[in-house]
Amino acid sequence: MRIEAIGCEPLQLRRVHLENSRALDVYRRNGGYEAIKKVFDGMSPDDVINEVKKSALRGRGGAGFPTGMKWSFVPKDSPKPKYVVCNADESEPGTFKDRYLMERDPHMLIEGMLIAAYALGSKTTYIYTRGEYKYLIDIMDVAIAEARAAGLVGNNILGTDFSCEIYTHTGAGAYICGEETALLSSLEGLRGHPRMKPPFPAVSGLYACPTVVNNVETLTAVPDIIKMGGEAYQKLGTEKSGGTKVWSVSGHVNSPGVYELPMGYDDMEKFIMEDCGGMLDGKKLKAVIPGGSSVYIMRADQIIGKDVRMDYEGLVAAGSSVGSGGFIVMDETVDIFESTKNLTEFYKHESCGWCTPCREGTDWLVKVFKRIDSGGGRPEDAQLMLDLCDNIEGKSFCPLGDAAAWPIQSAIKRFPEDFKKRIS
Amino acid sequence: MSTDLVKVTINGKDFQVAKGARLIDVCREKGFDIPSFCYYADLALQASCRMCLVRIEKMPKLQTSCTITCTDGMIVTTQSEEIEKAQRGMTEFLLANHPLDCPVCDRGGECELQEMTFDWGGLEERFTERKNYHAERYLSPMVANDPQRCILCKRCTRVCDEWMGEDAIEAGGRGAHTVIGTYLGWLDCSQCGNCIEVCPTGTLLDATYRHQTRPWELAQNITTCNFCSDGCQMSLGSRGGEVLRSVARDRYVNGINGEFLCVKGRFGHPFINHDERIRTPMIRYKKGGKLIPATWDEAIRHVAERLDAVADEHGRNAIGVVGSPRLTNEALHVLHKFATELVGTENYTTTDRFSLKSFFNNLSAPLATPRDIRYAKTILQIGGDPGELQPLTGKAVRQAVRNGGATLVLVNSVPIRLREQAKVFLHVRPGTEDAIVLALTDSADDKLAAQKAGLDAEAIDAARQAIANTTGDVVILVSHEISNEAQAIIAQLPSVFAAEGRRFLFHPLPFYNNSIGAHDMGMMDAATSPLHLLAATGSDIRALYMAGSFLPEQLAEHEDALSRLDFLVVQELFENETTAAADVVLPAASYAEQDGTFTNNSGLVQRVRQSIPPLHQSKPDWMITAQLAKELGMDFGYEMSASAVFRDIAKNVPAYSEMSYPKLKDETNPVQARYAIGFSDSGNTDVLRSRVEALPDNGEKINVTPDVGVELFRLGMLTDKVSQFHLLASGNPRPETTAISPLYQITVEAKRRDAA
Amino acid sequence: MSTQIVNIQPLSQPVNLGVEPATFSPEVEAEIDSHIAKYPVLRSAILPLMFIVQRERGYLDPAGVLYLANRLKLRVTDIWEVATFYSMIHVEPIGKYNIQICRTLSCKIRGAGKITEYCSQKLGIQVGETTADGKFTLTEVECLGSCGTAPMMQINFDYHENLTPEKIDQILEKLA
Ligand SMILES: Cc1cc2nc3c(=O)[nH]c(=O)nc-3n(C[C@H](O)[C@H](O)[C@H](O)COP(=O)(O)O)c2cc1C
Ligand code: SF4
Ligand code: FES
Repeated sequence: MRIEAIGCEPLQLRRVHLENSRALDVYRRNGGYEAIKKVFDGMSPDDVINEVKKSALRGRGGAGFPTGMKWSFVPKDSPKPKYVVCNADESEPGTFKDRYLMERDPHMLIEGMLIAAYALGSKTTYIYTRGEYKYLIDIMDVAIAEARAAGLVGNNILGTDFSCEIYTHTGAGAYICGEETALLSSLEGLRGHPRMKPPFPAVSGLYACPTVVNNVETLTAVPDIIKMGGEAYQKLGTEKSGGTKVWSVSGHVNSPGVYELPMGYDDMEKFIMEDCGGMLDGKKLKAVIPGGSSVYIMRADQIIGKDVRMDYEGLVAAGSSVGSGGFIVMDETVDIFESTKNLTEFYKHESCGWCTPCREGTDWLVKVFKRIDSGGGRPEDAQLMLDLCDNIEGKSFCPLGDAAAWPIQSAIKRFPEDFKKRIS
Repeated sequence: MSTDLVKVTINGKDFQVAKGARLIDVCREKGFDIPSFCYYADLALQASCRMCLVRIEKMPKLQTSCTITCTDGMIVTTQSEEIEKAQRGMTEFLLANHPLDCPVCDRGGECELQEMTFDWGGLEERFTERKNYHAERYLSPMVANDPQRCILCKRCTRVCDEWMGEDAIEAGGRGAHTVIGTYLGWLDCSQCGNCIEVCPTGTLLDATYRHQTRPWELAQNITTCNFCSDGCQMSLGSRGGEVLRSVARDRYVNGINGEFLCVKGRFGHPFINHDERIRTPMIRYKKGGKLIPATWDEAIRHVAERLDAVADEHGRNAIGVVGSPRLTNEALHVLHKFATELVGTENYTTTDRFSLKSFFNNLSAPLATPRDIRYAKTILQIGGDPGELQPLTGKAVRQAVRNGGATLVLVNSVPIRLREQAKVFLHVRPGTEDAIVLALTDSADDKLAAQKAGLDAEAIDAARQAIANTTGDVVILVSHEISNEAQAIIAQLPSVFAAEGRRFLFHPLPFYNNSIGAHDMGMMDAATSPLHLLAATGSDIRALYMAGSFLPEQLAEHEDALSRLDFLVVQELFENETTAAADVVLPAASYAEQDGTFTNNSGLVQRVRQSIPPLHQSKPDWMITAQLAKELGMDFGYEMSASAVFRDIAKNVPAYSEMSYPKLKDETNPVQARYAIGFSDSGNTDVLRSRVEALPDNGEKINVTPDVGVELFRLGMLTDKVSQFHLLASGNPRPETTAISPLYQITVEAKRRDAA
Repeated sequence: MSTQIVNIQPLSQPVNLGVEPATFSPEVEAEIDSHIAKYPVLRSAILPLMFIVQRERGYLDPAGVLYLANRLKLRVTDIWEVATFYSMIHVEPIGKYNIQICRTLSCKIRGAGKITEYCSQKLGIQVGETTADGKFTLTEVECLGSCGTAPMMQINFDYHENLTPEKIDQILEKLA
């Protein structure tokens, strides 16, 4: 599997190929913990937030919310403790970049978390990692212990009066716990149900205290933003989508892997056909899900010859979105009915069961898919499925319901032939 | 609550509403129907059923009106094609895996899902797949569970947690496999059954009523519970002279308790139609002989003759008159009249364990209703365990703290479960509650009190500060654990803490449904008590006329007392230790068989209504007493009418003046007795101080929190008649299988939980 | 008026499970303490502790549930509601080696189905079953974040990626 930057200098992936890249001294020798020093050398928390605002960094967890703005929502005068929580739940099908960032360069995340904690006035931070990534938790624990021994975590970091603890926390197999409020419920030891917003976590999150939840990749971008300055970071990408983005590529390409691209990388076709080594076994491209299973599926003809720009705006214009950057390539052998059934089963399995439309809707949809699959399809089924999706979309308690509906809606619309042949 | 008004426009009409009001409530109040399942007033918001969707201008998606608070200029649409489609869609989803066999479901006819489907559902059924299956089961002797019917509104888990503080039932599993239940499927809790009550579908069902009848075949009668002093309003469902169930569902009754009942109120009713009810009057012609059935005329004549004889021989004061604090006000009033006007004895009382005489004599603030407690800012509880003994009060306290942020200051010798809610817990040595009362009145006594109660003086000061810092209502709960002297002092406590913007309210915690009524009817006026009377039998006391019986523990203290009597007449529902010694036993009607009133611990005078005709030959107690009075030559003139008795009460009891049955008819607006309130100086701090000084200062503290049900499951004369309570009293063992009612699987000796 | 719920722990442990709570060695207890120390609220440690109990006892058995309830001052039903929410927590016994094959899209289109079939045949059990000797349990799971190295499986906590039948033979041989 390849891990590489394309079209830009590697930023997030700068150290991944170094020998012993997890070690503190390797990290330090290659530009590590310089950002936190720069922060301590006279930057106020507001300065840090301003740099992040200028960087046009948007959350890499999927929603793409501007990170600087999110940080500025945290009330400054709250007497309660504040928390920074790193979302390392990474359960979106097709997404595995956070895993490699943590596996290869754990100190980058630690430094990012320290800077975030400094900016937000947090003394306690958690890294919520999905339970299956047990080996990553062990890696992070070693790295945190190393950093602690070097005075980088704990009391009076680097001799300043800033103190901060970083703890790892394990999930236990629940996609919904990637949703930030469900993650907080889970971190509190409850069932992983999402919570009502408002209040937003920035105001009332973990233990009802102000909390910022950020994706791994979001936090690992922060040290570079501080080092090079927000503006310089933004310029690596586009005006509204600053910096670089790490994509996870899977499916029918010759070189699946983790790729860092500048935001606004200008051709998705080139990315598939050249950068990722082209289609596996020379088969024809049929479809791409560019941003993790929850985004609209794209037809080959929406990509080929269309110069699809790979950033938040470009993908929306092309009829999908960046999501978590889980880029799934499918060749002509894939039946889109099958692939959509597969994802719907995923959403049914992962629906937390809190709200009616998501719980019952996904259950019903899977039953329809299975009936069709076993030869019991009916002409009205496509319409039925679209209508069920419509009753879920926009009506569920959290976005998981929408995420379950979108793949089906887009697949039926964009690949009607794969459905028609099953149901008539 | 802020009184700022904001303008909201609903379906084109403008309204001024309180800022921050909940949109769903506002819409409903203004006459716009909004369907919902999970929304339940005063429970944590859930927003999971997604039925209450509305369109709000400038918001991207449909919004759940249960989560929206009104802001100025909000423009709302509650009805449109888009909203209707969404609501039809949700109903369709809820019905997808729900069995469509309403005719075999116990909730059929009073099911919210059924109604919602009629009102908001679609016409055709599009779900043609297999439904997910879950087997039916029993969660306890009281609660049956059909998980397939569950729509996961989680009202049950929320009332269990928020009302009861028990958190016994939870959702397990995930997604479409989510079920409501418990670890290993056995519900170990106080068995209040509120989860059954609030369940909108047939998922949680009353196991004792199951498959007996349909709700529409029941005559529903609103009445007042006859167990504890909280006086919950409930609806007794009866058919053909048999009471089959008791509910508080708001479609039938909407009283102080909302849909709340405790295990006794909900499941204690089977005593009413129990086989062992006394059927006819009975006379024991010879001491040691048998009770022989007699006609009413014979029995009444016999009693009259014997009482006359005792009075002639030993004087009027040799006759004691004793009522039960479970009787109606009507019965107690007639009894009082009988004792004072006809017999002319000074020896009359009730069998209560706790007299509130000195509390009422010194009362300086009004009594608090459950609603007052719910919205109180500070609650001072001295002794007692309302969670077990006055469950509605317990619920109100819990909600005041949990949902309203009130401060609970708890003074108790037992670390009762309510201490989970207490901000300040003065864990005193048993019997030293008086010391705290003294200290609260005068901080000079802090040291003395701290020493006697085994506390730091700062703890007492923290309690004092909590009261002194309150703006809003302070409710003081007063239990039997303080002495008469302390009652007098505590009743005057508001004068110590009086301040602008602070209101004091009292809430006594007597044991019985009509303890307060018994006080009001004057039955506690005489200077005696049940134990005094028992001690004096055979000497000063020669005959007793009783409506109700002595408590087993009272008899235990004076073992041969009853056998020393020349004559004992008892009106009762069941034979017991007291009737065993009686010369005449008269069958009394239960509360379900008569009209009347009870006065609860908020001083609310609430109606008792006849649900079924008196069983066998039984009669209401007041009627029996009035008949006896007539036989003895005094006609009270009630002409068989309870309302006539009540008119007499209104005339004679100042706190009840201007009351009448028609004025008491609406349980939604209960009427409070108007007790004399004022400052008296009969509360003497010096007397209390010397009492406190005399307390030992080395008692052991009680460190164990009693189990849920330790009082609730204690078998009394009435609950002893309910098989389920025997299971509870012996620890609610989990049967081999939960597919069959435990009643068919386990036979348990009636062992008390604490003895086992 | 907003409804504010204060989370207060129940005090008593009412359900009689008929078992004594599990006990652990001082080392394991120390490990448990180190997790509890991370959080300002006891209950937060529930998932890390469940993993430890599961590791020590094979699955979350009644004795383990009772231990957790006592340790975290919760009711057994609180443990149950959390345990049954998370797919990695097992309240029923499972095999010593839990073979979890990813069935989600990226793996599926790169041949996960064949991998499952192969394992199923080799072990002689269907998905969801455990071998008679209690050694292997075969399960299908959702995306494990190995899409770029599909098809893949996880055995207990170990990732095995870019699977082929030969590779599976080797892996299972080592465990047999
Ligand atoms: C169903 C669902 C699953 C999600 N899963 C993840 C995830 O695994 N990792 C992640 O970082 N964000 C995930 N998110 C997004 C988070 O809710 C949240 O937006 C993110 O953690 C914020 O961090 P960011 O601003 O750095 O992106 C998920 C959201 C939803 C609705
Ligand atoms: S979940 Fe729904 S009906 Fe239930 S209260 Fe809310 S939104 Fe409303
Ligand atoms: S998001 Fe959890 S059920 Fe809808």
